[in-house]
Amino acid sequence: MRRVSTTLTICAIVLSLMLIFSASGNVAFAKTVKIAFIGPLTGPNAAQGNGAKNSFDLAIKQANKSGNFPYKIEMMTLDDASDPAVAVSAALKAVSDKDVAAASGHWNSSCALATIHTFHSFKMPMVVWGAISPKITEYNYPEISRSCPTLVQENVPFAKWVITKLGNKKFCIISDTTDYGEQNTKAFSALCKKYGAEILSVDAVPTGTTDFRPILTKVKGINPSAIYFGGVVMEGALVRSQMKKIGLNKVFCAVSGLADPKFIEVAGKAAAEGTIITKPGFDLDELSGGKNFKAAYKAQGYSEPMGAYGIYAYEAANIILAALKQVGPDDKVALAKALRNIKFDGIMGRTTFDKNGQTELAPVTKLVAQDGKWVTWENSDYAAGKRTLPKP
Amino acid sequence: MELFIQQIINGLLLGCNYTLIAIGFSLFFGALNVVHFSHGDICILGSFILLILYGISQAAGLFNTLPALISIPIFVFTAVLLTGLFGVFFEKIVIKPFRLSPELMVLVATVALGIVIRETVRISYPQGSNPQIFPAIFPDGGFDISTLFIRYDSLIIFVSTVALISGVFLFVQKTRMGSAIRAISQDIEAAMMMGISVNITVSVTFFLGSALGAVAGILNGAYIGIIRFDMGLMGGIKGFSAAVVGGLGNIYGAILGGLVLGFVETFSSAFIPGGTAYKDVLAFLVVIFFLVFKPSGILGEKVFEKV
Repeated sequence: MRRVSTTLTICAIVLSLMLIFSASGNVAFAKTVKIAFIGPLTGPNAAQGNGAKNSFDLAIKQANKSGNFPYKIEMMTLDDASDPAVAVSAALKAVSDKDVAAASGHWNSSCALATIHTFHSFKMPMVVWGAISPKITEYNYPEISRSCPTLVQENVPFAKWVITKLGNKKFCIISDTTDYGEQNTKAFSALCKKYGAEILSVDAVPTGTTDFRPILTKVKGINPSAIYFGGVVMEGALVRSQMKKIGLNKVFCAVSGLADPKFIEVAGKAAAEGTIITKPGFDLDELSGGKNFKAAYKAQGYSEPMGAYGIYAYEAANIILAALKQVGPDDKVALAKALRNIKFDGIMGRTTFDKNGQTELAPVTKLVAQDGKWVTWENSDYAAGKRTLPKP
Repeated sequence: MELFIQQIINGLLLGCNYTLIAIGFSLFFGALNVVHFSHGDICILGSFILLILYGISQAAGLFNTLPALISIPIFVFTAVLLTGLFGVFFEKIVIKPFRLSPELMVLVATVALGIVIRETVRISYPQGSNPQIFPAIFPDGGFDISTLFIRYDSLIIFVSTVALISGVFLFVQKTRMGSAIRAISQDIEAAMMMGISVNITVSVTFFLGSALGAVAGILNGAYIGIIRFDMGLMGGIKGFSAAVVGGLGNIYGAILGGLVLGFVETFSSAFIPGGTAYKDVLAFLVVIFFLVFKPSGILGEKVFEKV
């Protein structure tokens, strides 16, 4: 009995000490406002997520340095591992922390579609930095806005380019079975109809598929002029490398799902050659702000490259910070409203959101894989006529 | 026509991979009546060991002194050997303690072991959650047979699978150790009474099965070009299913089952419009079909009671 009471006393002392320390902790850091960043930091899309995380981190660091904020801004980094279930628990972690004023999330549309309801019910403003399914903003939640263009916005200039400019009229579509793949197939099919191209086959594969030879052998028999890939880096790279292995020499094209150096690394320099894609936004080297951003990113010495969506994460962070500066961190409803009405002059131009929270700034850059690098189409040997894509 | 033959080759190569995994399941089940559910993870462990060996020797500049034609077989051999030893080690610590316990306990233990292997690979390999680029251990290119293009890597995979299977068959049928393996699979107590060391025989069986698994993992990595820590999960389930379809405990059955699954998957994505999304569904429907209508598998003799 005596022993029990001693244990209890010790427990009580420890507990009260903990309380005191945590209370004093709160006092010391009272002036910290957190912004949550969620992205795929592990898993198949980790390259995209880490590049975006670093860019986001850079924006926060610059804001803290600028002295524009009377409080310290801290980034809360959460991993969604490209898995909607993990994404929701990450979102719950963000919304349940009272210091978090706003969040920015997701590269995978499936993750964003899973978490927007959480952010909506907790009234936390969230800017999507990289997920491009049109459905995300169709819900029209006042808390959700998006700084990158949707895949519909992205597919339009892409289709115009590949079909009317490059003259490809017969397509085989390979996509993944995720929402991203499905939406791409839908958007691109509609555009094919519009621009007078024909779709000869559609195949959807579960993500994680590694052997595409059966589909590609079939496609070889169908003999299209181009293969449209509606998926992301890893599967895309495997499709491309296996296309080469079975001797399927056709145009391979996609929207920004493949816009990552990792694609070329996995597919192999020789196999990746001539892959054509579009990527939202402008070439950073063409913009003065872009050059500064690249230099600042380099100066931080991050171990991962920024990837195609780094700039969007950076812009998303700055948009949140601009709104935060306008209305402060305390009233989340006002913050969401300020975000919706923002006119933000970023690196790529002026971001405004439409009535659904979708950015109206949607330029695309055309890229081609050349000598193991993504090169802007206009500056490539292909546009100059020195090299040729497979004939349509 | 050549496209159809090409599809047959695709199915054959996938079937080869499943067969190599399935033989392990059959060997283990034959010897000890255990279903070794971490076998798929051991296969992937094999490919990761090769990846590590390759990375180390690349960093050490070994390839400058030793041509790939010699060094790569050495790496593959070392990785296979190490994985075989790992297999023996895992049997000693995870399966042996349950030799007299109900089968369910071994089952849970091997499932747990699978998780341990998988997560250890994920945590200890740098950026282990991400797919890793597998080194090109086979020569690029190929040759034509009239209009058909045969790649060297496909040929190597096929030939080495056939060679290994024949080797295992000869080993089990013709050697003293092989008869010991067959003896304990028929009646473990009678075998003991005949003076067969069960421990040594079981160790050899696990070495053999795990080494074949490592070959499966390495060939698959080289065929596809990437490996990921969790590939063994699906690979293990497919390999096990192949063994069940063919008849668990029977080596010929493993071959047949592997080919059945390989062809079902390949043909469903090749000849059913939009069928790729359903290839796993169809493959497992075949497995369910066999479990319901012929639970002993194509060639199995003893009825497979329950996992």
